[in-house]
Amino acid sequence: MLAAILAAGIAVGATYALIGITYNLMFSASRVMSFTAGQLGMVGGVLGALFIGRMGIPIIPGFVLALAGCAAIGVVTEFIAVRPVLKALDQHLYVLSTLGLALMIQQFTAIEWSTEPQPFPRLIGVVSGGPFDEKFWLPVVACAITVAGLEYLYRRTLVGRAFLAIAEDNFAARALGLPERNLRVASYALAGVVGGLAGFASGELLLAFFANGAMLNFLGFVPVALGGLGNNRGALIGGLALGIFQQAANFIVGGVFASVAVFTVFILVLLLRPQGLFGAPVARRV
Amino acid sequence: MILSRRTLAKGTIATAAAASIPAQVRAADAEPIRIGWLAALTGPLASPSIGFDRGVQWATNEINAKGGVRGRKIELVIRDTQGEPTKAVNATQEVISRHKVHAIWGPTNSGELLATTPIMARAKVPSLVAGVVNSLIDPVKFPNAFRVTPANSQWDEAVRNYAMKVVKAKKVAVFGDATGYGTAARDDSVAGFVKAGVEVVYSGIIDPALPDIMPEVLRMKNAGAEAIIPWTVSSGLAARLMNARAEANWNVPIVGHPVLGTGEIGKLVTKPENWDKVYIIGYKSCSFDATGKLPPRTQAFVDAVQGKMPLQDTSLWWVVSGVDSIRLIAEAVDKTGSSDADKIIAHWNTLKDWPGLYGTYSFSPTEHNGYKTEEIVMQRANSARDGAFALAPGYA
Amino acid sequence: MQRSLPYVALFGAAALLPFFSNDYWAVIGARAAVYWVLVGGLNLVVGFGGQLAIGYVALLTLGAYTASAMVARFGLDPFLAYGMAGVVGAGAGVIVGLPALRLRTFYFAMTTLGFATIVTQIALAWQSVTGGGIGIAGPELPQPLDSPWGFYLFALALAALVTWLSSNVAHSRFGRSLVAIRDAEVAAEAVGIAKPRLLSTVFLFSGACAGVAGGLFATLQTYITPDAFSFDLSVTFFIAILVGGRGSIMGPLIGNVLLTLLPEVAAPLVAWSTFLYAALLLAIVLAMPGGIAALLDFRNRRPLAANRSIVPRPERISGHGTARGDIVLKNVVLAFGGVRAIDGLDMTIRPGEVHGLIGPNGSGKTTTLNVISGYYAPQQGEAFLGTVALPHGNPQTRAALGIARTFQTPRLIGEASVLDNVTIGATIAGTAGFLETVFCLPRHRADEKRLAARAMDALATVGLDALADVRADRLQHSELRFMEIARALILNPAFILLDEPAAGLSSEEIARLGALIGAMAKQGIGILLVEHHADLIFDICDHVTVLNLGRELASGTPAEIRAHKEVVSAYLGG
Repeated sequence: MLAAILAAGIAVGATYALIGITYNLMFSASRVMSFTAGQLGMVGGVLGALFIGRMGIPIIPGFVLALAGCAAIGVVTEFIAVRPVLKALDQHLYVLSTLGLALMIQQFTAIEWSTEPQPFPRLIGVVSGGPFDEKFWLPVVACAITVAGLEYLYRRTLVGRAFLAIAEDNFAARALGLPERNLRVASYALAGVVGGLAGFASGELLLAFFANGAMLNFLGFVPVALGGLGNNRGALIGGLALGIFQQAANFIVGGVFASVAVFTVFILVLLLRPQGLFGAPVARRV
Repeated sequence: MILSRRTLAKGTIATAAAASIPAQVRAADAEPIRIGWLAALTGPLASPSIGFDRGVQWATNEINAKGGVRGRKIELVIRDTQGEPTKAVNATQEVISRHKVHAIWGPTNSGELLATTPIMARAKVPSLVAGVVNSLIDPVKFPNAFRVTPANSQWDEAVRNYAMKVVKAKKVAVFGDATGYGTAARDDSVAGFVKAGVEVVYSGIIDPALPDIMPEVLRMKNAGAEAIIPWTVSSGLAARLMNARAEANWNVPIVGHPVLGTGEIGKLVTKPENWDKVYIIGYKSCSFDATGKLPPRTQAFVDAVQGKMPLQDTSLWWVVSGVDSIRLIAEAVDKTGSSDADKIIAHWNTLKDWPGLYGTYSFSPTEHNGYKTEEIVMQRANSARDGAFALAPGYA
Repeated sequence: MQRSLPYVALFGAAALLPFFSNDYWAVIGARAAVYWVLVGGLNLVVGFGGQLAIGYVALLTLGAYTASAMVARFGLDPFLAYGMAGVVGAGAGVIVGLPALRLRTFYFAMTTLGFATIVTQIALAWQSVTGGGIGIAGPELPQPLDSPWGFYLFALALAALVTWLSSNVAHSRFGRSLVAIRDAEVAAEAVGIAKPRLLSTVFLFSGACAGVAGGLFATLQTYITPDAFSFDLSVTFFIAILVGGRGSIMGPLIGNVLLTLLPEVAAPLVAWSTFLYAALLLAIVLAMPGGIAALLDFRNRRPLAANRSIVPRPERISGHGTARGDIVLKNVVLAFGGVRAIDGLDMTIRPGEVHGLIGPNGSGKTTTLNVISGYYAPQQGEAFLGTVALPHGNPQTRAALGIARTFQTPRLIGEASVLDNVTIGATIAGTAGFLETVFCLPRHRADEKRLAARAMDALATVGLDALADVRADRLQHSELRFMEIARALILNPAFILLDEPAAGLSSEEIARLGALIGAMAKQGIGILLVEHHADLIFDICDHVTVLNLGRELASGTPAEIRAHKEVVSAYLGG
């Protein structure tokens, strides 16, 4: 039983962490928190089920297509909901514009895809059943690859350093002649890929379901709040902790009180440590 | 098609009768019979309404094609409530006050019905209730409301009887999903089992969004449950239950809500056999017997609509229940010669064993639960054909 | 009076609806009215305060269950039950709103969603009170309010009441302060607005509105179950405000009516309604951030005179706050990370004296100003007013101590009028409490009159009185500089700290500014002038401090500074 709780907890935790990283990627490029982060996860699952399950495209091209679709949504987010409101960042209009776009994505999926959860195709099929089923370890592998890949990108590549420079200081980066706007678009595309990967890898676990967007939006934000904004490693730890806590709470106190417990802990943590358990940079105000 | 022939005969008589009354009265009578149909045609709760709607439309067209009722056509006033109580309240008042409907069918979800029933009662509009919540029917508070489906207590009883008498379970695991319906149904079910002397070894509320319910299933298994009684309308949760049961190598029967038998489940179970030993609440009228035959009345209906109406993606009982409801309203107008609310209500109060497609209905001034418990049966969840199901083991 | 005319017309027309219509419109109308009771209160939080509370359905749920349970379980009178719902809503409003004091917008929005989930789940679980999934009957009103039209008129009356109450708040120092913390939080602190207290009060009020709305909602629905309180409903409230336009009451009122009516008149679109709302929200944010209110704002579409000039009237400056002594900095050290922005600075600013502070970029001028006005807490040393140490990191205490300031980039409240932008400066001079304001009692009315007169006076002094009614974001840069000075002057401060007031001004304007500053000093106000325009500094300063790398390079009269060798070579460049 403990194995089952841990397996599911770590799997959903890895998914939440990936959505948390999606938030971070968008934030570090633009100082914007976007409500579309969770929807990207949902779309990743739905596109996977659509391409591979319904249209019968082989797994690898189907996977690439699903991620490409999510990357496109990431770029669209940047164009429609972020870029136009960046000049008035302090008015926080992005909260509204990304909320509007996220709701549009969700409603569109509900109407055009299905309001019922749809099956996600089985991808590998080596171990069937038990805590070592692929539906549990696929999100973990996806998360590990993402975290490692991002570390490599940031530390070893020029583009990655440029990302970091923008995250550190937007104006200075622009002054240095970095193509700030292109890097931002690239970041949003990357965020789309990571969010889509979260949904794709957890597709067998969460199914291709329109309501996953709102759920991931919230539960994927918790790791950001716990781990500190822009801190991917914090998001990883926060996500796993949340996943295990949620599954354990469901087991111990049941469905109704588990969600109360999750949300209460979230609000308390935010109030006690607004900068997250692992800290985040404090901005100068005047 | 016994019923339609009968209706046809009635229609002819009615037309003849109409011809003999003075023109002035006839003009007034030619006013259509307006039926408000409050359906959740879109949104997450749409499946039942889509099925009901096919029956409603079919019955309406059938009657109108034959000249209507006493020369009066039936006019449907359809409003999509999306299953939301707020929209249902608006729609109810709209069909009552703006369209002045003579009777209402729907809405179809418990949360909506709980809110709209008092409003319909206030306006004294005859209403047919397709919802299982027990408190919806109260001939004193809501003298206008008549239930044409079973009440939850009847569903509960059917499930309980099956678990006790056929499955012979001494210990059961009962759970609901974390929605209004799930929590309420679980409580009723647990109370019923306890009263009947069955040990409830697991009683839980499970979040329908929970991605893996293996821990819960193991808990049920370890507690020694001999049957699982799920109360959920979430196909995702239902399929996860079946998959987890298979993974746990646990060959325990699942007995419960009709949603366990919807086509969505077939897509979501990882192996087809995971769907075995799942028994759902169903109705005699919509069950195949051992030879694969439906009861004659329903068979005739299925034959009549074959090729004109899709049945494989819905539940037959939704469709025939829709047909019955329109016919119940039409017949009341026909019999009493009036679409006055009082007349329709008075007529329904006298119905005794009215033979519908879906069931045989009886109402009295003190009993507005019209569906007979003995017409409820259990069916095999994975046996759907044309929206009907095979009887579960244990029925001769 | 003129302000209330459109509202009187609107609600008057609504009251006539029963004569033209059937029960269906009574229900729709009542729904719009009930929602407005909530949205009207929420408007102060979202539209005025800029706090993005998207989960306000939590309070509606709470109010609905409180009122219903009071009647159904304890047999309370329905009107009392509404009252209880209001009280519970007010309390919960503060709890839901509290995170806004600590969290940034997106974080706060998420916590309100969290509350919405918690409340729904508790409603499901707490069966003995809420009925769990089966729900509970809403309060039934006695005759004649139990009929659709009876209830409609009752809800309409409450909606009108909420309109009046929220309008009283909106057009008071509380409402102006809300807009100030929304658009110019830093300036709000400088004029002494205490955000925690203000926001808690407003959350209390809007929570009470939402609670009462919940009770009315339960009556309208006749029966409530947890699934009646959907996230879509919450988003609708929120979108109604933004479609209506921030900082307006009429706009959101119209927005609320439109969003309630839209699904009724566009029945075939019902499946797409949430999608359309979302698209509407996006379109409004991108294309028309002012919403409906901006469409109705005819006055601000009239063009302003192109070649207007600012003519201050320094002679009007009269009186000033009594200084409690000099502002004295003693050995102040402040470092950001490893960089010492101020490194052991001593300085004294005296009443009636213009003290210039110059130095190259990054020498610590603005940082010094920020230490005095309380934004930064020095790691060593103290800033004193007279003999009393100024509290650290607590900028909202400075206004009461008679220290006003302006900012390097003008901190304007763009969507508010110039007059309001100035009146904000006198927020702490208001005497009426929140309750007096809500009910528009005499003390509040007297406050308003007095503050408006003082603001007009300050505007006349700086020469902007002709532009008093214009929205501040239509002003030219130079005008904004003078507007900020008016905002500083309105409190008759003992000290004014000016951060590069001449930046962006024409030479003519700089001369007028100099005269104005001189007149202020002559009246006894102590002035700290951070400036790059050496001419202005040497013209009007009584004392000049030159900073370099956070330390004093030189200090003395303008003449002494001009002769100072190091200054000349390092800074004056010649």
